[in-house]
Amino acid sequence: MTDAPMALVCAHIRATGITASYARRPATSPGRLVGARIAAFLLAMLLAVLAPPLLADAPSRNVLVIYANGRLLPANFQADGGLRETIRTSSARPVSIFDEFLDAPNFGGDAYAEIIANYLREKYASRPPDVVVAAGSEALSFLLQQRSTLFPGVPLVHLAIPLPLLRSMHLPRDVVGVPVEYDFSLTVEQALRWHPQARRLVLITGASPWDREWEARLRREATRFSGRVTVEFLAGLPTDAVRRRLQELAGDAVVFTPGYFVDGDGHHGTPRQSVEAIAAAAAVPVYGPFSSFIGSGVVGGYLHTFKDMGRQAGGIVNALLAGSAPASLQLPALMPNSLQVDWRQLRRWGINADAVPDDAVIDFRQPSLLERYRAETIAAIVALLLQAGLIASLLFERRRRRRAEAAVHLQRHELAHASRLAIAGELTGAIAHEINQPLAAILSNADAADLMLESGGDRSNELRQILTDIRRDDLRASAIIQRLRALLSRHQAERQAFELNAVLDDVASLLRGEARRRQLRIAFKHAMKPVMVAGDRIQIEQVLINLILNAMDAVVGIADDRRTTVVVAVEQIADGMVVVSVRDRGPGIAVEHLPKIFDSFFSTKRDGMGLGLSIARTIVDAHAGRIVAENAAGGGARFQVELPTARLPLLTAAPA
Amino acid sequence: MNGGPLIHVVDDDQSLRTALLRLLAAAGFEARGYASSGDFLLQPLPERPGCLLLDVRMPGPSGLELQAALQRQGCALPVIFLTGYADVSSSVRALKAGAVDFLSKPIERKALLEALHRALERDARQRRARADAVQLRARFATLSVRERTVFDGVVAGQLNKQIADELAIGERTVKSLRSQLMAKLGAGSAAELGRLAERLRQLSDA
Repeated sequence: MTDAPMALVCAHIRATGITASYARRPATSPGRLVGARIAAFLLAMLLAVLAPPLLADAPSRNVLVIYANGRLLPANFQADGGLRETIRTSSARPVSIFDEFLDAPNFGGDAYAEIIANYLREKYASRPPDVVVAAGSEALSFLLQQRSTLFPGVPLVHLAIPLPLLRSMHLPRDVVGVPVEYDFSLTVEQALRWHPQARRLVLITGASPWDREWEARLRREATRFSGRVTVEFLAGLPTDAVRRRLQELAGDAVVFTPGYFVDGDGHHGTPRQSVEAIAAAAAVPVYGPFSSFIGSGVVGGYLHTFKDMGRQAGGIVNALLAGSAPASLQLPALMPNSLQVDWRQLRRWGINADAVPDDAVIDFRQPSLLERYRAETIAAIVALLLQAGLIASLLFERRRRRRAEAAVHLQRHELAHASRLAIAGELTGAIAHEINQPLAAILSNADAADLMLESGGDRSNELRQILTDIRRDDLRASAIIQRLRALLSRHQAERQAFELNAVLDDVASLLRGEARRRQLRIAFKHAMKPVMVAGDRIQIEQVLINLILNAMDAVVGIADDRRTTVVVAVEQIADGMVVVSVRDRGPGIAVEHLPKIFDSFFSTKRDGMGLGLSIARTIVDAHAGRIVAENAAGGGARFQVELPTARLPLLTAAPA
Repeated sequence: MNGGPLIHVVDDDQSLRTALLRLLAAAGFEARGYASSGDFLLQPLPERPGCLLLDVRMPGPSGLELQAALQRQGCALPVIFLTGYADVSSSVRALKAGAVDFLSKPIERKALLEALHRALERDARQRRARADAVQLRARFATLSVRERTVFDGVVAGQLNKQIADELAIGERTVKSLRSQLMAKLGAGSAAELGRLAERLRQLSDA
C-alpha cells in the first residue's frame, strides 16, 4: 500500500527535476524543492478537507496590475505568468487579479492619465484593490501621480522598473519592489567573446522618448568598447532604412538593440516587433537586453526574465496580503540577471556549446529525436528491431530452406548417380565383353603380323591393313570405356543442348553386349532429322538404359524370337516436344500396378529396389518433361519419355 | 592344298573374325569365316579334314547349339570354343559335348595353335578310324554265309569240332573256311579275330 504513493512521488520528483534543472540551473536542489512543494500541497489538501466550515466566508482579496504598455506585449505576458504563478489563492482565501493596460507609448499625456484614473476609480469602486502592481515605468509614474486620489493607502508594488529611474524618483515607503537594470555591457562583452572577429558594434534605437532614453544610455556606455570595436548608431531611422543598412553589414559586425516603439517614420510597434525585423534583415548576430526578445531571432544576452520579475512581485504581493508592512520587507537591491540564449541562434552563428557558460539558460534547444518523441522513438526502434528480427529469421529460414533444397538436390543427384552405378554394375559383364572383343581382335592381328614378319617376304600391304584394323579396334574399345566412364561419373548436373539420336547411339553401344548376352535384340529407330534436347545428356541416357533394361527383363524367357525384340524409337509428336518410346512385347504391366509404377520402392522384381523408375521420373521432371507408362495395343509395355526440344544450335542447323 | 585341313571360324564380330582368319593364314592354315551359326549351316561343308573355331555367344543360335546340331547331323569336325566370358557352366557343357578346348578371348597364339593341332590330330584320328571301319565292313561283306557262320563260332569261342558238328560239315572244311575268312578279314590270329568282331559290334551299335 505504501509503495504506490512513493513511486508516484519519485516519478514526480524525477519529472519535475528534469524540468527544473532544464529551465533554471542555479536553484536549490530540485529534489528538495519538489519535496517541499509536495509537502505544502499535501498540507493544503489536508487543510482544504478540514477547514472549509471555518474559512468559508473569508472575503476575496483584490490585486490590480497596471501595465505600462499594451495588452499584447510579450513582456506583459511573461510578467503576468510569473505573478499568477506566485500569488497564492485558495477557496479559503481567494485572491482576484485584475489587469489594466496604459498602452504607452501609443497613448500618454495628462488628459489621458486623468481619463484612465477616472475610469479606474469608477471601475474598481466595487472591488477596491488590496495591492496594486505597477508594471513598467509609465505605470509607476501614473500611479505615483494618481494614487492619492485613485487608491489611497493601498500599497504599491513596482515591477520592471530600471534602477536609474527609481533613483530619480523619491518613492514613498509603501511603494516597494525590486529594481531592474537592463544589461548592455555584459551582453556585448559576451558577444565579443563569441565573435572575436567582430570589428564593429552596431547599436539600433528608435524615436520614441523611451527609445531616446535607451539611445542616450547606450551612447554613454558604448564608449568603453570604442577601443576594441567601432561603435555605430542607427538611431531613429525608418525601419526600411535600418533593414537596408543591416543587409549591408559584413561578417565583422555585431548588433545590439533594445528595439524600439517608434521608428524614424513615426510607425508604432513593439520592441519585439522591431527586433524581429532587425534580426531578419541582419546577416550578423543580434543581441538585446530583454528576455522577451528570445525567439525573435536574437542570440540572447544577460537578461532579466519578465517572468522572474512577475514572480518577485508576486512574492511581495503575497507578503503584503498576509499583512506584512511594506517597509518591513527585506528585498534584494536589484533583480538578478542571467545569460539567456536561443539555442538555434547559437547553432546559426556557429557558437560552440562549450563556449556557453554553464549557468546560461538555453531556450529552444531542439530536443533530440529521442527526447522529443520518446515513446514514438522507442516504439519505432522496437518495431525496427522486431522487423529486423523478423527479416533475419526469414533470411535464416530462407537459407535453411535453400540448404535443404540443395541437400535434396544433392541427394537426388547422388541417387541418380547411385542408380547409374547399379546400371553399370548390371552391364559390367556385357560391357567387358564388348571391350574384350576388340582387344581380342587386336591381339590376333598382332600375332598374325608377327607370323607374317617371321615368314619374310614383302607383305607390307597386309601389315598396313592389320595396323589400320588394330587402330580401329583400339578406338572402338576406348569409345566404350568413355561411354561407361561418362555413365559412372559423378558429374555436376548440367544443362546443355544435345542431339537425341546420338544419345540413342551411345545407349546402343552400352547395351549391345547385354543384348547379346541375353540373346535378344534391341531395335533403335532414330528420328529422320536431328532432334535437340536441352539438359543433362548422361541423365537422359540413364533413363533410356533403365527403361530398356526393364523391357529386356520383361521379355526374358520368352521363346518366341519375334517377341524378344525391344523397340526404342524417337518420335517427334509436336513442335516443341519429342517422345522417345521404349516398347517390349512381354507380359505388360498389371493394371493395378500402373498408378504406382513410378513410386519409390515399388518393384515387381524379386531383387528390384524400386528406384529405377522413380529416379527416371525425377530426371524427366527436372527436364520439364513427362514420363508415361501404358500397356501397348498388341501386348507388352510401352514407356514414353516426353521432352521439350531445344532450338538447333546454328552449327548443326547451318549446312557445312 | 586342296586336300589339307580347312578351319571354320564362326564369330559374329567381323573384326575379330578377320583377325583370326589372318592369323590362321599366316600360320599356314586354310580357314573360312562365318558371321553366324546359320551362315555356317547354310554353306555346303566340303569333305575335308579340319576343325571349327566357334564363338559361344552369338545372335541367333549360339555356338553350343551349333555344336549340338552338328553332332546330330553326324558331323564329327572337332570344335574349339572361343568365349569372351569365363563361364564355367558353358565350358563344362562344351567339353562334355566333346569340344577340344575352350579358349577365352583375347586368344593367345600358342594356345590357339596347340588347340588347333590337337583338333586336327583328333580329326585325322577320327578319319582314320572311320576309314578302318569302312574297310572292315567292306571286308566283312566279302564273307560267304558259311564263312560268316564259322566267324561267329570262332568269335563265340567254339572249337572247330563244335562248329563242324553245328554246320554238319567236316572239321577240315571248317579249318579251311576259317583260314579263308581270316585271310579276307586280314586277321593273323583268333585273338585278332575277336578284336575285329568287337569293333564290328561297336560299328553296328553306333
